[in-house]
Amino acid sequence: MTAADFSTVLPEVILAIYAMLALLFGVYTGKDKAAPMLVWATAGLMLALAIWIGLSRDGDHIAFGGMFTDDAFARYAKVTILVSAAAVLALGQDYMSRRDLLRFEFPILVSLSVVGMMLMVSAGDLIALYMGLELQSLGLYVVASLRRDSVKSTEAGLKYFILGSLSSGLLLYGMSLVYGFTGTTLFAGILSTLNADIPLGLLFGLVFMLSGLAFKVSAAPFHMWTPDVYEGSPTPVTAFFSTAPKVAAMALIARVVFDAFGGITADWSQVLAALAVASMFLGSVAAIGQRDIKRLMAYSSIAHMGYAMVGLAAGTVVGVQAMLIYMAIYVTMNIGAFAFILSMEKEGRPVTTIDSLNMYVTREPMRAWAMLFLMFSLAGVPPFLGFAAKLSVLRAAVDGGMVWLALLAVIASVIGAYYYIRIVYLMFFGKENEGLDGKMGSVQWLMLMGSAAIMLLGMINLFGIEGLAATAAESLVR
Amino acid sequence: MSLALIVALPFLGAFLPGLMIRSGRNACAVSAGAITSLALVMLGLHAPAVLRGEVIQTRIDWLPQLGLNANFFLDGLGLLFAGLILGIGLLIILYARFYLDRRDPMGQFYTYLLLFQGAMVGIVLSDNILLLLVFWELTSLSSFLLIGYWKHLPEGRQGARMALTVTGMGGLAMIAGMLILGQIVGSYDLSVILQNKEAIQASDWYLPALILILLGAFTKSAQFPFHFWLPHAMAAPTPVSAYLHSATMVKAGLFLMARLWPVLAGTPEWFYIVATTGLVTMVVAAKIALFKDDLKALLAFSTVSHLGLITMLLGFGTQAAATVAVFHIINHATFKAALFMVAGIVDHSTHTRDLKLLGGLRRAMPITFAITTIAALSMAGIPPLNGFLSKELMLEEASHTVWAGIPWLLPVLATIGALFSVAYSFRFLGHTFLGQPRSQLDHPHDPSVGLWGAPAFLTLLVVLIGLFPMLSAAWLIDAAASAVTGEAVAVNIYHWHGFTAAFWMSVIAILGGFVLLMLHAPLNRLWLATPRPEAKRIFDGIVEPLAALARGLTQRLHDGALTRYFAIATVAIVAAGFAAFLGGAHSPGLRPETPVEIVPLIGWFLLIASAAAIVSFHRNRLLALVLVGVIGLIVSVGFAYLAAPDLALTQISVEVVTVILLLLALNFVPKTTPFESTRLRRGRDGVIATLAGLGSGALIYALMMRDSAFPSISGYHLANAKTEGGGTNVVNVILVDFRGYDTFGEIVVLGIAALVIFALTEAILRAGPANDRLLTWVQDQRDAGDRHPLMLVVATRMVLPVAIMVGVYIFLRGHNEPGGGFIAGLVVAIALVMQYMASGFAWTEARQRVDYHALIAAGVLIAGAAGVGAWFTGTAFLTSDFGYVTLPPLAPFELATAMIFDAGVFLTVLGAVMLALASISRIALRAGEKVNTAPYDTDLPDGEVR
Repeated sequence: MTAADFSTVLPEVILAIYAMLALLFGVYTGKDKAAPMLVWATAGLMLALAIWIGLSRDGDHIAFGGMFTDDAFARYAKVTILVSAAAVLALGQDYMSRRDLLRFEFPILVSLSVVGMMLMVSAGDLIALYMGLELQSLGLYVVASLRRDSVKSTEAGLKYFILGSLSSGLLLYGMSLVYGFTGTTLFAGILSTLNADIPLGLLFGLVFMLSGLAFKVSAAPFHMWTPDVYEGSPTPVTAFFSTAPKVAAMALIARVVFDAFGGITADWSQVLAALAVASMFLGSVAAIGQRDIKRLMAYSSIAHMGYAMVGLAAGTVVGVQAMLIYMAIYVTMNIGAFAFILSMEKEGRPVTTIDSLNMYVTREPMRAWAMLFLMFSLAGVPPFLGFAAKLSVLRAAVDGGMVWLALLAVIASVIGAYYYIRIVYLMFFGKENEGLDGKMGSVQWLMLMGSAAIMLLGMINLFGIEGLAATAAESLVR
Repeated sequence: MSLALIVALPFLGAFLPGLMIRSGRNACAVSAGAITSLALVMLGLHAPAVLRGEVIQTRIDWLPQLGLNANFFLDGLGLLFAGLILGIGLLIILYARFYLDRRDPMGQFYTYLLLFQGAMVGIVLSDNILLLLVFWELTSLSSFLLIGYWKHLPEGRQGARMALTVTGMGGLAMIAGMLILGQIVGSYDLSVILQNKEAIQASDWYLPALILILLGAFTKSAQFPFHFWLPHAMAAPTPVSAYLHSATMVKAGLFLMARLWPVLAGTPEWFYIVATTGLVTMVVAAKIALFKDDLKALLAFSTVSHLGLITMLLGFGTQAAATVAVFHIINHATFKAALFMVAGIVDHSTHTRDLKLLGGLRRAMPITFAITTIAALSMAGIPPLNGFLSKELMLEEASHTVWAGIPWLLPVLATIGALFSVAYSFRFLGHTFLGQPRSQLDHPHDPSVGLWGAPAFLTLLVVLIGLFPMLSAAWLIDAAASAVTGEAVAVNIYHWHGFTAAFWMSVIAILGGFVLLMLHAPLNRLWLATPRPEAKRIFDGIVEPLAALARGLTQRLHDGALTRYFAIATVAIVAAGFAAFLGGAHSPGLRPETPVEIVPLIGWFLLIASAAAIVSFHRNRLLALVLVGVIGLIVSVGFAYLAAPDLALTQISVEVVTVILLLLALNFVPKTTPFESTRLRRGRDGVIATLAGLGSGALIYALMMRDSAFPSISGYHLANAKTEGGGTNVVNVILVDFRGYDTFGEIVVLGIAALVIFALTEAILRAGPANDRLLTWVQDQRDAGDRHPLMLVVATRMVLPVAIMVGVYIFLRGHNEPGGGFIAGLVVAIALVMQYMASGFAWTEARQRVDYHALIAAGVLIAGAAGVGAWFTGTAFLTSDFGYVTLPPLAPFELATAMIFDAGVFLTVLGAVMLALASISRIALRAGEKVNTAPYDTDLPDGEVR
């Protein structure tokens, strides 16, 4: 390990060391009493790292003989991951404290998981990829069953673990096939072996790897864990699941297909397109029948991953840029939506049925309006930011010559609009009944209103992220 | 800039009414009116230039990467629509001021109204189709709020939902159409797209784009079969109905068709889709309108019908027809908005809109009556009013348009449509104002000028355009029709065309309409008696089963069972593999096949047989464990056969340890797995599993038949093991030297795993539900008679020193011959485990001198120290050093620092295995194990053997 290698991975090292120190601190001091403080410290550190990575690091750096890449693409993804993880941590602190769910391990597991995600998006080697992915997943498995005394939460964690292991197995199988046919685990090495005549086994390896990764982004037909885990996990954990890990896994897919398989765009583009179509339609159709807002958000996230993959399937710089824009906007929308879901309670107990939203506007007009913004944005209706997201991926697909994919995406979004509109409809015109009565924590309120405002104000210039995304995409697609 | 400002003005001004409401309702209305007027004046300033044929453009880059730019342009069509939107908007603002109840939140109303107005103006002035889409959906959203404005009415809620669902989804579909259009042309600017007719119509994607765009237009303009939402949206306050559903929003669809007419029209596809839809809508809606008793419902269906008429005209695809369409857009906006306002006035003063209850209002409400008469006659197409002019022209166009080779079809249906239109127009007029005054109505009276002023003004326009079409409207029609068709148009409108076909059709329509109205009562009974589709029920009928289908599908897919999830994933993978196989070219491998020999073949069959047997007998868990042992054994034999003795040794020792540990753990779970699945299900799963297994086997086979693209690293290791690592056993050198880091990590993990097992046991043994279960646990089999067979006890004790010696031997030879710390650790562990098995936990524990925790810690620390030691020689962590030592009388032998490291590995492995074993035995003791509670010894003083 040279000094240059070390300085390249410094952000990850800092976060990892922080997590270990925090663990010791937690064990030897107040245990759960220290948890709120740890949550804020973790969120603060992540934010600081995000600012540092975003503002002061530039250029391409390769460390550990190509196993770790630090380029604009990785930085874009890392900033998104760190900011969203910090936001979700801050969002859930009050909710978890009040329900006595806040274990001091929670922020530590989240930060370890985030270290994994940061490794994933920087991976330049199959082994590094797997290490990052597992580090991420192991943290997630545990936090899913954070509420140990709840059957649902335990079940969620167990299901996630078992299906996650299946996906890891698939991924490993794919990786060993790829290694077997190329004789190297380095992405750059794999790329250099590709020529017009690709061995069929390599193709299989690619397909299996993509299937394994599809599990992690919950793309259909490997999405099955998502609804159960979203529903069973404590809501702040669900909020976390639906944000940072999705960005990491999506960025990882982009990394693999471009860095390792950039020469055979046509082959993986088909696979991604198939995954995208299945996800979009399944997410849109299955969400219609849901009465539980967390399950609904699970299907919604499946559909959204499909749209993001539409951009990726285009296989172009514009496509990657569109995917990156999509993910950033998606994460913002989800943080807002989950800020609201966290505040849904009745007589002090959390409620997640959408029927409880009936005529919400008469009780809390501000929040109802904010949700209207978010829901329409999730549906991709102009003039909200979600439209810009959808537009960019659709354009990427159309420009990439995949008009049929764009068409299918639109049809799916038409179907999907139904359930978003229904939530708005219930909030504004539903039946009168006894609905929610909870107050909202100031952090949650701030995040809800902030993300709702972003949905509208963001349309002015997307806050300039499309420029950043373009730089990031160019650094990936060479 | 000014065009953008016209669009922005209503949006910016939308805050004003909300603020001004504090200064009173008048101030609120005036502020809204002032903004609209200002926008209208600004538009008017451009009018002369536009009428001269100029196109005014404003370009602002917004999100150029997305193709979304704030580009606006104003031509004749834009001028016509923007004028209609702002002009009628102004009248509606006036009307609403007097219409809305004191209790209604007026500021909110005007805010929504201005938002809507801005969105509409945005649609008609956009030069960028994506920008147009933005405004398009904005109208859906703001109309959603306006329709649902009276939140206390359940109808309004339903209406709002249906309107938003239908138009919102249509708008989303349009996005795709617009994208395709932009892709074909290479620009998203309308002014560019409109120049590229040939490119668009020649494209393969013309039809999909057309259908998607029309989907947006038809839903917005309530065309058949999407016409059902409009009447339900009528629960909105009347000003909203008058504005949105007669003059503006529903015309957005028409606007779009007119806007894209130059590039989309003129093909057979366009003709058959658009003209047919328009025709059907016109006739069907006109018929329904006749039988509606609610004034607003009647007007709603009449609106649908007239929109159909205009759609049909646009669909004809000829310049003349398009011109008529433009003309009728103007006329319809004038008389229909007036009639809606009248309906509101009637509702206001009689508190009912039911035609069955109304009648004879002409004396009580003379002004309203006068307005209604003119507007309704115009709607019926009675000369010389403006409705007549455009309807006559429409019939003229219809009379010589041939539909699918049937010349009479279009004229006849158009006449029928006109006939119904006459009938319902007269019904509106007659059943409200004529006939006997109804006594139950509570003193109806004309409203203040504030309410009737706006419709009166519109009626004035009706008359003016009717009498002097060339003077009052031709210039606007010319400009708009030129913009629609892309060619200069100069209309010549006059009342008398001679005895043309259109004249006779018109006569038939008027006379027939009268006859129909006379027969209304019996016809109405017939209408009521026949079953007819009801919009809301159809909507629910479509949406509900689909939602139920979605629910059912989801429940089938996601029933929470992991097995199903696994099945889905596996099927998907197998299918993906199959697809990949079919898609790629398969070439046989390059390596020669090795000859088949009999011994390995037998081993291979044993392996397959055991695997198959496990599947069959897995319910008997002990048997399954034995079979797993067999598989492990064959695998280790396989390793040995394939010249990998290290792997074989490791495999076999690991195998033994795991089987023993599993055996102990299995003691606490039921010995059999219950049957939970049906035979069919197992059969299905078997097929899936077989396919997946065969597939992965085939892949591995293919892999082994080829060489990698890169040379493997084994050559490097073989060449350098001796010189760099000082050992001839390459595997061991890799473990302790080349990949020493990995091994170090592994032993740490191993240690942690053992500690976790220990910690979990602690948790189980603490008071709690798990502990309770353990205490109440009942063995499902009786104890074996002889727990400590003497032979076994004696044999294990005899073997122990030998086994430990073997362990040491394996450890020492490890660096150069098969063996090493890992295997040695396992061998010694097995020897100790055997003591547990034979003599019992208690006996062994009593003789245990070293704490296993300490053993693990020592192992890790020693290994770490070996690594750190490298620093003192100035090399990196874990770099090994070796040398030859001569120690007489022994022959010179090698000593390597790697051996210290290996010792660490040895201790850790030993400690980890033993700790796991000890943990399990603690559970056993808690669970009521009685036999081993006291130390067992063979030489008890009283000779008693337990």
